[in-house]
Amino acid sequence: MKKARRKQALTHGQLRAFGLLTASVVLALALHAHSVWAQHVHPAPPSSAPVVGTAAIAFDLKTLDGKAAGLESFRGKPLVINFFASWCDPCRDEMPLINELSAKAAGNYQVLGIAVEDSRAAVSEYAKEAKLVFPVALDLNSTVKRAYRIFGPPATFFIDRQGIIRDIVIGPITSERAKEAMKRLGVAK
Amino acid sequence: MKLRFTHSWFAIYFVLVFGCSADLPAPSPTQGAKSLNFGAERRLGNGEKNPSTPFLRYSPDGRLVAVWTEDHDTPWPQGSHTGHQRMGGDRAPSPMRNAMIAWSKDGGESWSAPKRLNHTVEAVQGEENGPKVAFTPDNKAFVVWSIPGVKGDKTRANIRLAMEDGKGGFTAARTLNEVQDAGRFPIIETMPDGNLLLAWIDRRIDGPKPRQLYLMKIDSRGQALTKNYQVGQGLCECCKLGINFADGGRTVYMVDREVDANKIRNHVLRKSLDGGASFGAPVEISNDGWQVPSCPHSGPSLGRDRRGHLHVSWFTQGRSEQEAGIYYSMSTDGGKSFAPRTLIHRNTAPETLYNNLVVGADDTIYFAWSNLDTNSRSQIYMRTLAANGRTWSPIQQISNSKGNASRAALALKNNQLQIAWTETDGEDSRVVFRSVTVGQ
Repeated sequence: MKKARRKQALTHGQLRAFGLLTASVVLALALHAHSVWAQHVHPAPPSSAPVVGTAAIAFDLKTLDGKAAGLESFRGKPLVINFFASWCDPCRDEMPLINELSAKAAGNYQVLGIAVEDSRAAVSEYAKEAKLVFPVALDLNSTVKRAYRIFGPPATFFIDRQGIIRDIVIGPITSERAKEAMKRLGVAK
Repeated sequence: MKLRFTHSWFAIYFVLVFGCSADLPAPSPTQGAKSLNFGAERRLGNGEKNPSTPFLRYSPDGRLVAVWTEDHDTPWPQGSHTGHQRMGGDRAPSPMRNAMIAWSKDGGESWSAPKRLNHTVEAVQGEENGPKVAFTPDNKAFVVWSIPGVKGDKTRANIRLAMEDGKGGFTAARTLNEVQDAGRFPIIETMPDGNLLLAWIDRRIDGPKPRQLYLMKIDSRGQALTKNYQVGQGLCECCKLGINFADGGRTVYMVDREVDANKIRNHVLRKSLDGGASFGAPVEISNDGWQVPSCPHSGPSLGRDRRGHLHVSWFTQGRSEQEAGIYYSMSTDGGKSFAPRTLIHRNTAPETLYNNLVVGADDTIYFAWSNLDTNSRSQIYMRTLAANGRTWSPIQQISNSKGNASRAALALKNNQLQIAWTETDGEDSRVVFRSVTVGQ
C-alpha cells in the first residue's frame, strides 16, 4: 500500500529528472571509463612514495671511486642522502650546506651524495669543482631516483641508524631546515 | 517545488559531467587512426664515444642534418689541464664533449662522415641543452651550443656559434653572450627574411632567481645585427625554449616555462609583432599549478600550422602526482588564448618527461615524448593528431631500450618523418634514429 502511494507521489517531472540523473551518472561513468581506457598503455603511477616514518628503500650503487654505496653499507649510523646533478642550479646553491653537514659529521652520522641524470665525467668534474668532502654515488640508470620518487633534484633524505626515514626535503635545503632535520634524526648539531 | 526539484537534478548533472574534470579527457585512439610504420633502428655517431643528445633539421636543399655530442678522448698533455675550453685533448673519462654534424641526402638511409664542429676542445653540453642547427636560405648551416663557464659551472655557461665556412668546414666557434658565464639553453631559428634569431636563458642579472630571456639576431654571413637584448624574465633556469614565426617574420612566437615567486611553474607564450624586437606580456598556456622548488628540466615545444593555429605540448606534474604527464593545447587566435589542456599520456612514475612536436604539411601534429615502460625503463612514445583536431592515433612505443631512452628530436619534410633520441645504459650512451613515411 505504502509503495503504491509512493509511486503515485512521483510526479511526471520527478520521473523525468530521475531519468536525467541516471543518464548523467551513466555519462559520467562512461567519461571516466573512457579516460581510464585512454591510458591503457600504462596504469596510473603507484602511490608508494617514501614517507617519513617508513623504512628507506634499499639500493645498491657505487661511488665515483668504485666503492660499494648500498643503503646497507651505511647502516648503524644516521645517514643524510642528497640527490643532486651537476647541471642543477638549486643543487649548486645548497651544496655548500651539504658539504658543511658532512664536514661537521665527526663520525656521528654520514652524508652520501647520489648524482642523478648525470655522467661519471661530469660528476667527477663537479665533485672537484665544488670540493665535495662526502662520497658520491652514481645513479646511472635512474633506478634509485625512481624508487625515491624524485621528479627533479635536489632532494635530501634523513635516515636514522635503524634505516627509518625521519625527514625529507624536496628542493634546496636551508640551514634552518637542515638543523630541524638533523634534530629529527637525533643528531644534535 | 517541482521546478526546483528538476533544477537541482540539472545542477547535479552538470557537476557530474563537467565538474569532474577541468581538462579535456585523455583522447582515446580514434577508430581507423593508424599507427606509424617506422623503419628499423639505426645509430648515429661513433658508438665508442658515447654519442648523445641529437637534434634533427632539414636544410632548404632537402638534406636531413643531424647534430649531436660525443666524447672527446684524445689523451691530454700532462700539466695543461685547466678550464673548460682547451686547445688540446683530455683524459678519459673527461667532461670534454665534441659537437658533431652529419647529413643525409636520402632521408637517413646513409650519412656523410661526421664532422667535429668545435675547433678547440670544449665540454659541449648535452641533455636538453644540446647543439641546435639552422640554415640560411642558401643552405649554410649555423650551429649553436653551450659550454660551462670558466670555473666549470654548467649553470653559468657560454653560448657558442659556428657556421659553415664555404670551404667544406666550419668557422671557429665564437661566444655570443656579451656578459661572460651568463647564458644557457641556446636555440637558433631562421627568420623568414633569411636572418637568424638566437635565444637563450640568461643570468647576467643574477637575482631574483628566475632567469631572463635574451635574444640576438645575426645575418646570413654571421654578422651581428643586434647586441644581446632582454625580452622577458621569470624563466625556469633549465627548460628548453621554442620559437615560431608568422607574417613573414613580423610576428614571432616563443614558448618557455615560467617560475613565479611561489615556485609555481606554468608554461607561457610570448608574442612579438615587430620581428622579435619586443614582446607583449606572456600568455599562460595552461594554469597547471605545478609547484616545485627543485629542477625538473623539461621545456615546452611549439608548432604552427598552415591555418596559423599554434600547437604546444609540455610536461607538467600539475597539482598532484596523478595529474603528471604530457599535455597539449592549441590557440586559434594567434596566441591570445588557449584551449583547455588535453592529456596526451599520463606519467607512469615520478619522472620528468621530455617532449617534442612537429606539424606536417597537412597540419597533422606529430608528438614524441619519453615515459616509463612496465619495466621502469624510459622509452620513446609517439602519437599523432589529425588536422581536424579530433582524430588521435594510438600511443605507440618507438624505442626498445634496455636502459633509458629519452629526449626525442623530430624532423619532417613532405611525407618523411625522422626521429632520433638518446639511449643510456649505465655509463654508455648512443643515438638511435628511425624514419617513417607519413600521410599515406
